[in-house]
Amino acid sequence: MTREPFVLFDVERTTVAGRPALTVRGELDLATAPQLGNAVDAQLAAVPRGFVLDLTHTVFMDSSGARELVRSARKASAAGVELHVLAPHRNGPVRLTIDLLELGAAVPIVESEASIGLAERDATP
Amino acid sequence: MSSAVPGALPEEALLRCADEPIAVPGAVQPHGVLLAVTEPDLAVVVASANAQELFGRSVAGLDQVLGAADLAALRGGLAGDLAELNPLRVQVSGAEMDVVVHRADGLLLTEWEPVFGAEQVGAAWHRRLPAVLQRLSATATLDELTDVLARDVRTVTGFDRVMVYRFDAEWNGEVIAEDRREDLEPFLGLRYPASDIPAQARALYATNWMRIIPDAGYRPVPLDPPLTPSTGRPLDLSGAMLRSVSPVHLEYLANMGVVASMSVSLIDGGRLWGLIACHHYAGPHRPSYADRVAAEFLGRTASLLLPTTVAAGEQSGIVEVASRQAQLAAVVGRTPRGLAAALADGEVTALDLLPAGGAAVRLDGQLRLLGATPPADRVEPLVRALLAAGRPVTDAVSGVLPDAADLAGTASGVLAVEVPGGREDFLAWFRPETVREVTWGGNPYTSKTAQTAAGPRLSPRRSFDAWSETVRETAQPWRPHEVAAARTLAGDLADAALSRAAEDNRLAGALQRTLLLGELPAVPGFALAARYLPSAEDVVGGDWYDLVPLPGGTVSIVLGDVAGHGLAAAAVTAQLRHALRAHLLRAPGPGAALDGLNEVIAALLPGEMATAVVVELDPATGDVVIANAGHLPVLHVTSAGAQFLSDGRGPALGLLDSAGYRETRIRLSGEDRLLLFSDGLVERGRGGLESGLAALREAAGSAAAEPEALLDALLAALDPPRTDDVTLLGIART
Repeated sequence: MTREPFVLFDVERTTVAGRPALTVRGELDLATAPQLGNAVDAQLAAVPRGFVLDLTHTVFMDSSGARELVRSARKASAAGVELHVLAPHRNGPVRLTIDLLELGAAVPIVESEASIGLAERDATP
Repeated sequence: MSSAVPGALPEEALLRCADEPIAVPGAVQPHGVLLAVTEPDLAVVVASANAQELFGRSVAGLDQVLGAADLAALRGGLAGDLAELNPLRVQVSGAEMDVVVHRADGLLLTEWEPVFGAEQVGAAWHRRLPAVLQRLSATATLDELTDVLARDVRTVTGFDRVMVYRFDAEWNGEVIAEDRREDLEPFLGLRYPASDIPAQARALYATNWMRIIPDAGYRPVPLDPPLTPSTGRPLDLSGAMLRSVSPVHLEYLANMGVVASMSVSLIDGGRLWGLIACHHYAGPHRPSYADRVAAEFLGRTASLLLPTTVAAGEQSGIVEVASRQAQLAAVVGRTPRGLAAALADGEVTALDLLPAGGAAVRLDGQLRLLGATPPADRVEPLVRALLAAGRPVTDAVSGVLPDAADLAGTASGVLAVEVPGGREDFLAWFRPETVREVTWGGNPYTSKTAQTAAGPRLSPRRSFDAWSETVRETAQPWRPHEVAAARTLAGDLADAALSRAAEDNRLAGALQRTLLLGELPAVPGFALAARYLPSAEDVVGGDWYDLVPLPGGTVSIVLGDVAGHGLAAAAVTAQLRHALRAHLLRAPGPGAALDGLNEVIAALLPGEMATAVVVELDPATGDVVIANAGHLPVLHVTSAGAQFLSDGRGPALGLLDSAGYRETRIRLSGEDRLLLFSDGLVERGRGGLESGLAALREAAGSAAAEPEALLDALLAALDPPRTDDVTLLGIART
């Protein structure tokens, strides 16, 4: 299993599949989850149509990190903002946690940028 | 201030003045003669040009002018402390002279001052000394001390005007006491800009206690030779009483109408605090050496009294602030929670700590404003900018942050302190602009340069008429005890936050212990074992386990984990544990019980998330029903090997309003074992969760069957890091 270059934690504003995105690097856990929460709040304050939480480069996620994803999904939904959480299958550690918790029940998880694009096309009349 | 005084002068001219060699002017004043001699020969090396006039002959050695007795007295004195020798009263050609000596440039500098012509105002001064000292030391306030000082120095020296002059932080001077001839205009309260006494003069005054100019209209007497042969430089006159002063200073005195002047330094802790400045207008004036020494003595005595007198003057404010500080410390001490509210809305607030117009309390990320402050959205950037600039205490904010000039009405002065603890909390006090009228002795901003052949030269002010200006964008300065009190309060708050965190943890630990069973109830035919390892990082996690005997004879074995740590997680854990017990007793099976628990979270604990696995065991048959809400899978170990049960799963608790948990059934027979565990066991090892699960399966497959031994073996094999709490439950047939 290959590991990403060591990054403690970082949330960066990026663009994924043509949408504003937050790329989460490093370990998303009890200690860092509040930072993600703040970044999501800031993102939602700009009232985008939609945005992506990109976990491609997240090397670890615990239940506190997962809880933050759930909270983010609820905030986005309340704000009427379409959220996608990008967590490719090849990111085993994060994906396993997502699958065990069945986070997909509450968080719109997608496996690739292409699926975001499909969603985009589906959403376009 | 709206304009800095030194900035009003062309820099080049100021530098030229700063270059002026006031310590080595190469000349003396004419009221005495200077002879620089070698030791021990007393041969003259440098002499002032007026020596021949005074002595009636050119002098090659002191033995040519001193009688045997005077010479012996001089030689005797040179062996000891020169201060004890000075002055040596000698006879030269029938005239009495005071000789004062000191050493410089490797030479003995002897200064000869005729007694004739000197005013002997204080002939009886030595007898009055005890009374004068008594008066000085009996003063309680700075005003009294300086009044007595001005009066007694005038009595001793006979000058027309004696002022006590105090420097501020920028070296501007203010006349704080004065004794004068009745007919003179008062100077009391006037201010003089720092440029009136240049830096190199102040440096000289900090080591040399007294200067005198008996006649400001004097013609300097050059030294011969101009350069000292042994050094190749003009003689160092910084310690000489006859030192000729800067022509700029003489011009300055002449512009003020001063004919004779004397000044004595007031020094507090090695720093020039002020001056006793003496002026004479009626004509030349030369107090005797003894009277000058008396004045210097009074200045030195006052200097010793200054620190305690100044401190005493500020005592009342200090006591007041200290008592407020004690009250606030008590508030902080008895209000471990809700400190921000206590400091903002309590009987004694942060604003009461010290005199200020407004205050800001930022604790736990919450900002509260008291009194008159800048708008809420400006407070935090303002305070952070001052902290970042390293200027958290300022009485002129716009001087540090020009962009904040518009806040002068509430925050011309800011005292900011960080509350340690890494939460970016702070306390801040604000003082409004105090528009002050300042009266200067003459306009300090008028041009003071003169064009000379050598370029612009500093020229002293010509006008000393009182000139008032308005100083804006400054506040009442923050006093040291106020700054100290603010810092102490911030420290108290940080300590309280620390002990609050420790208290939270103690509570959470206690709560956690009530969630764990002291001893597992006996289940006939089965052996059960449990391990709970709290986190070593001093935080309490959200793990729990439980064993609930049900009415039908079955028993539910539960292991759960609430996301998060600390007191909040522990409280959620306690609620979930009890809620699940109630649902287990009522529900038809573990899946339905978890459905009930999920509804509890959705309804009562929105935003929380937990995982749990329930194993309902029928001891009579070994039948097991398992339902898993997002928790790590149960490990089923049989003689054939170990495998994770992937059926009977559903999403974590709190994800959906209604989950509908499925169940899976197995039967335990022979040496079959079940293992329940929390993520702390597997998730933080090398290779992450996937490797952790694989390692666990491998270790369990080869470990002993008896649950206690099994759990010990697994903990040893996986050796989980103690950053999270770790829980294991093992079940086996006996």
